[in-house]
Formats: sequence, C-alpha cells, structure tokens
Amino acid sequence: MNESCYGCSTCASADKPLEGFIAGLPMETSHHRVESQETKCGFGLQGVCCRLCANGPCRITPESPRGICGATADVMVTRNLLRAVASGSGCYIHVVENTALNLRNTAIEKGKFKGPGALERLCKLFGVSGKDDYEKALNVSNAVLNDLYKPEYVKMDLVEKMAYPPRFKVWKELGILPGGAKSEVFKGVVKCSTNLNSDPVNMLLDCLKLGISTGIYGLTLTNLLNDVLLGEPEIRMAPVGLRVIDPDYINIMITGHQHTMFVHLQERLTEPDVVAKAKAVGAKGFKLVGCTCVGQDLQLRGAHYTEIFDGHAGNNYTSEAILATGGIDAVISEFNCTLPGIEPICDELLIKQICVDDVAKKANAEYVPFTFADRGKQSEIIIDKIIAAYKERRPKVKLNLLPEHGYENNLTGVSEVSLKKFLGGSWKPLIDLIVSGDIKGVAGVVGCSSLVAGGHDVLTVALVKELIAKDIIVLTAGCSSGGIENCGLMVPEAAELAGPKLKAVCKKLGIPPVLNFGPCLAIGRLEIVATELAEAIGIDIPQLPLVLSAAQWLEEQALADGCFGLALGLPLHLGLPPFVTGSKVATQVLCQDMKALTGGQVIINGDAKESAELLEKVILEKRAALKI
Amino acid sequence: MKRIFIDREKCDGCKNCTVACMQAHRATPGTVYDLDLLDRKNEARHTIVSDGKGRYTPVFCRHCAVPDCVGACMSGALKKEPDTGHVQYDEKRCGTCFMCVMSCPYGNVKPDKATRSKILKCDFCKDDPEGPNCVRACPKKAIWVEEVEVL
Ligand code: SF4
Ligand code: SF4
Ligand code: SF4
Ligand code: SF4
Repeated sequence: MNESCYGCSTCASADKPLEGFIAGLPMETSHHRVESQETKCGFGLQGVCCRLCANGPCRITPESPRGICGATADVMVTRNLLRAVASGSGCYIHVVENTALNLRNTAIEKGKFKGPGALERLCKLFGVSGKDDYEKALNVSNAVLNDLYKPEYVKMDLVEKMAYPPRFKVWKELGILPGGAKSEVFKGVVKCSTNLNSDPVNMLLDCLKLGISTGIYGLTLTNLLNDVLLGEPEIRMAPVGLRVIDPDYINIMITGHQHTMFVHLQERLTEPDVVAKAKAVGAKGFKLVGCTCVGQDLQLRGAHYTEIFDGHAGNNYTSEAILATGGIDAVISEFNCTLPGIEPICDELLIKQICVDDVAKKANAEYVPFTFADRGKQSEIIIDKIIAAYKERRPKVKLNLLPEHGYENNLTGVSEVSLKKFLGGSWKPLIDLIVSGDIKGVAGVVGCSSLVAGGHDVLTVALVKELIAKDIIVLTAGCSSGGIENCGLMVPEAAELAGPKLKAVCKKLGIPPVLNFGPCLAIGRLEIVATELAEAIGIDIPQLPLVLSAAQWLEEQALADGCFGLALGLPLHLGLPPFVTGSKVATQVLCQDMKALTGGQVIINGDAKESAELLEKVILEKRAALKI
Repeated sequence: MKRIFIDREKCDGCKNCTVACMQAHRATPGTVYDLDLLDRKNEARHTIVSDGKGRYTPVFCRHCAVPDCVGACMSGALKKEPDTGHVQYDEKRCGTCFMCVMSCPYGNVKPDKATRSKILKCDFCKDDPEGPNCVRACPKKAIWVEEVEVL
C-alpha cells in the first residue's frame, strides 16, 4: 500500500464509531473509493446505455432517440432490467439448489437433522411423507430439485402449494406462473439479448415471473431447508459489532449464503482433537465471526451454535473493517457479498482466503471445492491451512481491534415460527395491536447497504428511526439488519426511540421496535409472516397495512427479490431507482400500473423523512380501506 | 476571468458533460434520474465532436476576449459581462436573426432545436455557485476551469 492519506475522504456511515475507525485505517476500503467514483454516468443511471451489441454503447438523447438497431429507451431499459433480474434470480436459485442437494445427500447418508420440526412442516406443505426422517428429507429435497430442473414450459408444482391462494389466482390470471426455475433464468437471458424481444411490458411481466420463482424457491424454501439441517431460529439475546472478535481464538469469517456447506467444518471445529490442534499453536480454540448474511444466519440460529459462534460483527460494507482489525485469521467464501476489496487487505494482513464454491472464487483464495462426499477430507485441509496461517501471521500482524464497538444485548432468532410462538402460538395478539392502532402498521426493511444513498447504512437507519417514531413496527432481513443492529436499534432500550404507542408495546413485551429476521434469505420469512397475517384476517396480501423498503438495495439479487415483493402486491420503497427512469413505460408500470396488476408499487425516494411519510400514507390508506 | 479549458486527448466521448449540462438547464426541477433525455427542450449548450476514428473534441464556448457573437448581435441580446468576462444572452432582447450563430468561429451558439426562436449558448452555469456542471461531471478531467488574464 502506498503512503497517501486514506483517511481524508471516507464516505459517511450511520455507524459513527465505525466511520471513525475506517477513516483512521492505514489501508484502503470501499468507503475510501466512493469519492473517486463520484462522477456517475447519467445515461447509465437512467438505464439507457445499451451495450448489447457491437454497435454500442448507444445512448439516448434528443438527437438520438433510438439505438442504431432501433431500440427505444423503453426497450433498452426493460432489456437491461430483465437481464439484471434474471441474473439475480440465478444467484438465489444456485443457493437453493445447493441447499437442497446438501439436504438430499445428508438424507442419503443418514446424517443429522437439527430441525425435525421444520422437516415436518415441509412435508405438510408439500404433501409428501416417508417411513422415517431420512426418507421424508429425501422426498422433500427431491420435490424442490425436480421443480428447479423442469423446463420452462412445465410449471413448477410447489408454487401452488407454497403460495397464498388469492395470490396464486392473480399470478395465474396474469400468466406469470413460473416454469422450472433454472430454465426461467435461461429464458430471461435469451429474451433480453439483442434484436429479440422489444416489448417492454412483456419483459416486465417476465421480471415478475422470475420474482415468483426467486421468492418461493431462492428465498422461502432455502430458509426452510436450512432449518432442517442447521436448526430452527430461537429468540435470544446476542452481541453485535467489532466487539465480538476475540483475539484469543483462531477466528474464521465466512462470507456468502450457502451455510449448509459449513455443517461438517463447523462441527469439526469444536471437536476435542481439532481444539487441541488450535491449543498447540497458542489459541484457545476456533471461533466463527459473523459477517454479511451468512453471519446473520448463524446469529439467527445462534442458540444451536453457542460454542463456536462469537457473534455478528457487521454487514457487507463492514467486512473490510472487520478484516482490518487483524483479528481474523481466515476468510472462507462461498457466495456473494465477498467484496473484491477484501483481497488486498487479506494479502497485507496475511489472512488466509479459502473458497469452497467457485462462483465466489477470489483472486487470491485457495480453491477447496465443497463436495458432499469429500467433506471430511476438505474440512481437515481447511483446518490445517488456517492453523498454518494463524501461526505465520499472528506474530507479524499488529491488532487494531475496536472492542467497544456495537451492542451486547440484541434481540435475535426471530422467525415466522419463533415470533408466533413468542406471541403465544397465534398472530392474534399482533393483529389486535394493529387493529387497535397501537401498532400503526408493519414495515419490512430489507436488502443490503450501499455506499451512495447518503453513505453506509445512512438512509436505512434514518428511515427505520422515522418509521418507529410513527408507531410502525419494523421487521428486517439482510445486510440492512447488520447495520441497524450495529446502530443500536435492536436492543430492548431502543424502545425509547419509538412513538408513544409502539414504545408502550415494546416495553410491555421487553422487545426492541425493530425485529431482526436475519439474512436476506429471510425476506422469505417476512413474506411468510405477511401471508399468515393476511390469512388470519381473511384478506389478500396487498390489503395489509404492510410496506417493504429496500432503501439501500445493492445487487441484482435485490432486484429479483423486489420483483417477488411486487408479485405479492406489496408497496416497495427504494432509495435509488433501479436504472429504469430513462423509460417512461417502465417507470409508469412499476410505479403506477402495477397497482392494478398485482397490487404492488415501486416508491422511489432518497430522503428518510419523506420516504417514511410516503410509506405511512400507504399504511394509512390500507388501514382506512380495512376500516380500522 | 474564468474559462473552460479542454484536453481533447483525455476526452472519451462519454457525454457525461452533456447530461450534466442538460440537467443544469432544464426548465422543471428534478434529479438526473427524471431528466427527460428525449426532450429537445433540455438541449445541452456544448457539443462533443467525434472525428469518426474514436477521438473526440469537446467544443465549449470560449467566452472570447473579443467575442464575434457579441459583435454580430445588433439587438444587444448578447453581452460580455464586465465583471465576469462571460458572454451572456438575454432572450427578451433577441431578434432571432441568428447573426451570432453565423459568426461564432467555433460554432458554439446554436438556434434552439425545440422552437428555433432563440439561441442556446453556454452561460457558464451562472446560477450555480459551484460553477460549470459539465466540468464537475467529466470523469476524465478532460475539461476544467482556469482563471485567465484578460487582455
Ligand atoms: S442492441 Fe441496438 S441499442 Fe443496443 S448497442 Fe446494439 S444497436 Fe445499440
Ligand atoms: S459563442 Fe463563440 S464567439 Fe461567442 S464567446 Fe462563445 S466561443 Fe466566443
Ligand atoms: S439571434 Fe439573437 S443573440 Fe443572436 S445575433 Fe441575433 S439578436 Fe443577437
Ligand atoms: S464528460 Fe468529459 S470525457 Fe465525457 S464527453 Fe464530456 S468532456 Fe469528454
């Protein structure tokens, strides 16, 4: 690294101690690069830069209203959007495929299921059975895999079983029931290539279709399959922030979304012979440090992992800072949110990088591919490499920890099941609070942190504060959760920040006004909550006083998730537009016409106060329509 | 006085400056996300000229020391402002004779495409305290503002 001042130009963060820490680092992070990337291309922002063929890039101006091929702004925008949604969907479908395969292989090998309740639930949902848990798990995983591998012209079977019937009806009428999920990604990619589809509305409907397959399989089912293998979430208190890093241990940070790949390794790390290996090099043992969504998921299921899991340190754009503490000895990557920016930091601090799925192969990582049959051997290889790295690096690397950062007592382990249990086994108490107005409405705040919507977690945290002050309870999932909890909104004391009515509810129940459902995959759990609430009241989902916000949406995956939200009929707030405003048709359909199609609607606003007011207005309208 | 300088070697023809100029001079308030890129009323006040071989020349008003456009204008619509040295246009006084268009040696004054009833020229973003928006938008630093001696 060179001698330039890295601290002079970091972006703002909602988490002030973190902002100060990053500004003082002797190395560069994403937060430092925001300034040098400040000049954004106006055509790109509006989605009217087309690079699909050698004639391009074509841009739209008054003098050049069409690309060379004749594509209008509407065509360019919707083609680009469909590409992004197909890619995002593909990412989540990859995750559910591997999760289902791991469950299937565990069933065949008669391995351990930590969540038998979740298995029963899936059997009931799918209408499958088996003579024992192994056969049941085999049938469940096969049902998912069979659907994923169907061709595009054969509809998937589980959609009807998983979906809320009134929604299924709407989707059927709109002709957006998905065929095989992998084939749908393929179809989407084909359709948006050059000189093929040029019908913007047709492509937007494809986005909704991909949203459904992403939501039901990539989000919802991944959670439920994970519950079988990894154990179901249980409500508990847990620490968050850089404080969780304990330098007395050999610390491993895992990044990605495919937690079932770590089942074997995780078990091994606490077994006496492996702990003895750690002790032999001077550490007390091994710890996993939570980061990004895989960390959120470990935190969610933390009740099952108290020995190995230290706590959640931070979200996607905190990962560079976590590594810069020097307290992490190895990073194991298997999916996204493994920023390229961690590579030079790992090199400099001699942090071992190992990749177990080549979709997330980092330039300087060693590739130890996860295959179920070889998992025993692979775990040993990984453990030995990490021990070697620890021995090599610890004497050389100066630690720069931030032990005061974060909060000790955060409520976690919230899921559609554990929350209902907490409420006494039914949604009635929550519905009663909503009807009485003690809780004005529900906002699902999801997605990542991006650095340009005011800075790291800035819009998300400010929006959440505004919402709870309006007596709107917030449910979170994704990296936004990691930012919100590091800013202290998930400790019970945060009730003080809520409006008077919500504050009283929180105090009575001993809960914070923001409930954390964990990783972005758990957006699927939020949507189960929405479905079950609608079912309990006897209405359709769009009628609920419920809104979604992906204030600091970051990736193509978020766009695919967002399309699920729209298919469900939910109002979806985004802090920055998804590169579509160059098309009047796309903007009109997404922000207005969608209301008549699915009930959903995109609301774009980058100001926390205004956004909260817009979302409150939607909630009040829905309340009025329900006469409550 | 301040003047925009160009380095044609650095320009890659991205037209980011063009979008910024359109945004800076739009009639309706809004952000770059809702700037109507198809609306002729939002025309930019400069041009990026391509040589057809992948090289570009950003052409910006030079706010000349002795501006031919001002000299040609008989109605007094174009004036070199004494304090800033910038050539400014007063639409209300303009007779739409387009003598200025004919006389600018750089081709920098142009009739507006939407109505053909006035001219469009660079006003050095006089209403923006941060100065020319095109300059701030250029990712290549191919254009910049420099203080020059007035002769
Ligand atoms: S596909 Fe059409 S619009 Fe896109 S770059 Fe090629 S010619 Fe231009
Ligand atoms: S319009 Fe032309 S002549 Fe007039 S000041 Fe600008 S460059 Fe000079
Ligand atoms: S067109 Fe207007 S500004 Fe140009 S020379 Fe004629 S009167 Fe002057
Ligand atoms: S922004 Fe800069 S590089 Fe792009 S066209 Fe304008 S002058 Fe050239």
